[in-house]
Amino acid sequence: MANFMLPFSIFFASIFTSNILLTNYLGMCSFLSVSKELKTSLGLGAAVVFVMATTTPLNWAVYQWLLIPFGLEYLRFIVFIIVIAAFVQLTEMALERYSEGLYQSLGIFLPLITVNCAILGASLFMVIREYSLITSFFFGFGSGLGWMLAIVAMAGIRTKLKTAKVPPGLEGPGITLVIAGFMAMAFMGFSGMIAVS
Amino acid sequence: MFTTLLISIAIINLISVFLALIMVIADATIGNYGVCSITVNAGAREFEVLGGQTLLRALNQEGIFIPSACGGRGSCGLCKVKVLEGGGEYLPTELPFIDDEERKQLVRLSCQVKVKTNVAVEIPEELFSVKEFTTTVEKIRDLTHDIKEVTLRLEDPNEISIKAGQYIQFVVPEYGDIDEEVYRAYSVASPPGDASHVELEIRLVPGGICTSYVHEHLKEGDEVTINGPYGDFFLRETDAPIIFIAGGSGMAPIKSILLDMQKQQNPRKAMYFFGARSKRDLFLLDEMKALEESIPNFTFVPALSEPLAEDNWGGEVGLITEVVGRMVEEASSSEAYLCGSPGMIDACIEVLGKLGVAEDRIFYDKF
Amino acid sequence: MKQTPEYDKIQAQMQKGIITLEGFLGDDSRKLVDIIAADTLTVRKHHTTHKAIAERMIHFRDLGERGLGQFITLDEHFEAKVESIRGLLPSPFGGPGMYAKVNTTVVNKTLGRQITYTDLHIHFIGDHGFYEGKGAPFRLEPEDLIEILEVGPDEEE
Repeated sequence: MANFMLPFSIFFASIFTSNILLTNYLGMCSFLSVSKELKTSLGLGAAVVFVMATTTPLNWAVYQWLLIPFGLEYLRFIVFIIVIAAFVQLTEMALERYSEGLYQSLGIFLPLITVNCAILGASLFMVIREYSLITSFFFGFGSGLGWMLAIVAMAGIRTKLKTAKVPPGLEGPGITLVIAGFMAMAFMGFSGMIAVS
Repeated sequence: MFTTLLISIAIINLISVFLALIMVIADATIGNYGVCSITVNAGAREFEVLGGQTLLRALNQEGIFIPSACGGRGSCGLCKVKVLEGGGEYLPTELPFIDDEERKQLVRLSCQVKVKTNVAVEIPEELFSVKEFTTTVEKIRDLTHDIKEVTLRLEDPNEISIKAGQYIQFVVPEYGDIDEEVYRAYSVASPPGDASHVELEIRLVPGGICTSYVHEHLKEGDEVTINGPYGDFFLRETDAPIIFIAGGSGMAPIKSILLDMQKQQNPRKAMYFFGARSKRDLFLLDEMKALEESIPNFTFVPALSEPLAEDNWGGEVGLITEVVGRMVEEASSSEAYLCGSPGMIDACIEVLGKLGVAEDRIFYDKF
Repeated sequence: MKQTPEYDKIQAQMQKGIITLEGFLGDDSRKLVDIIAADTLTVRKHHTTHKAIAERMIHFRDLGERGLGQFITLDEHFEAKVESIRGLLPSPFGGPGMYAKVNTTVVNKTLGRQITYTDLHIHFIGDHGFYEGKGAPFRLEPEDLIEILEVGPDEEE
């Protein structure tokens, strides 16, 4: 029973209680710069969800079937990045061919995802917490959704901020980080509901 | 220890090579669009190109020059063609330029459409006669402190079929900090009768990519690529008296028209009003005088708004708009030919309208 | 401050040799967003807005066009001249529309000063609050525009 429910509880946990951005503070750089505009945040968020949901189980396979048998677990940092980079390239090529419109709207964000530390982070967490293949998929998918939720929420708040009076000196990244802190604290309220491991 | 090292290197290599292979296969399959055929105007021309490039580029390479002022960035909206088949969906970058009527006719921005499958397009007839020419610089002469007259001798093809008043595009090659080709348009000042030459008047624009190239780098004997001709500014075949108004950059097309009138000995009454501040802004005065003598009924009217004492100016003084008002007689039956920016042309039309010139007899070359 | 990839692309379009020979940034090493932010602050200090400045620039251009390339005396103490060259330039900010190479020179006879700007400047300032980078040969200082063109006060919405 527990085994069957595990992937689903991890799915919800990774969105709310262990949000990869607000709890683990991963993927901050594009979060800070892109959250200025709602539409681009949605686009980037969607792309991150897709890449995270697919590379996490992919990396599970590589880890289990290639690295462990040869005792090369320590190589996972390099190998995971290589896999993520290759996968993003493939996605770009496929998008360009089959959906030029979507490819153009995502623009520079697609290759930018490769260096988003949240993607690598998800794969590394999968290793540390010893998830199974199915759980890895749900964890990746959920983490992506959590990241997207955070950036879209931040974009919404910053849109409202445009007409508010911000203390001089805090304008820009200053106030954004303060808000991120508040959001993280709010999400802490979810903790204890479900656990990630 | 050593074996561990070897194994780890082997595994990383294995993974990298495997992924690289997948990339190569993907590039050759998903990323490769193969050879596609482009059919123009229901078979008037048909050719095969490598897929994956933009329609604009593919057409350019086959010698069909679709006008573009922004180099394919999707900013000018000039490169519209009708894509009857194979265009795929509209891209978000095209939508701001295409209205509903054009959508129904399948009008696309050729710089945004990528050729991925066989394509059928329809382009306006005139574009078919636009050609690319290699030329040699035969002469460079200073007309004023900031305008150079550049005469190009056509090499291949060695003749151009052009109407007086049209313009060509000058291709600026990579130089200095510029690392891609740039196109700039200039009116042709030489008459159509001289089919083996193209004469341009190029004013130095501070910071201009082409004018800096021409004023600082171009020498007699250099090779220059141009394409054209473009434009629908030309003398209409009527008997009406003609009013020409153009200054500075607008002199070139008017000069071409006047030289053609000289060749044809066109008997129509013509007046060319040229406004400047003081004498040093005037140029080609001798040529204009010669034209006055050789064209049956032509008068050149330069007007200075602020002649200096040393100019010893005996000609008209005042703003061009006032001078035109004073000197034009049969305004209601005249045709007017104007050159300049849309705003200046509108201002001109207003002045001429007040004098009684009919709006459908005003022809212009909007920069 | 970090700027979005979109602004990075725009900044790349502003480099030398892409649209104009000298580019629009000169030797300014700041990010585009910082350049705009600094100039916005200057404009606010003078109690006016970018739109107000752009509107004044358009006002003089439209009146000056009647001179057809020569200086024309306008109301009060101004003189303006508008010249144009064939060709259109795209904006580094992207988007539809090309800008004519129209140069407007305004002389403020009372102050004894003059300033020259192009249609591209009007678009930069009115639509984006961009006055070009420090050191760019055609940078317009907001203060110069405000003083010479006598831009009135305006409130931001």
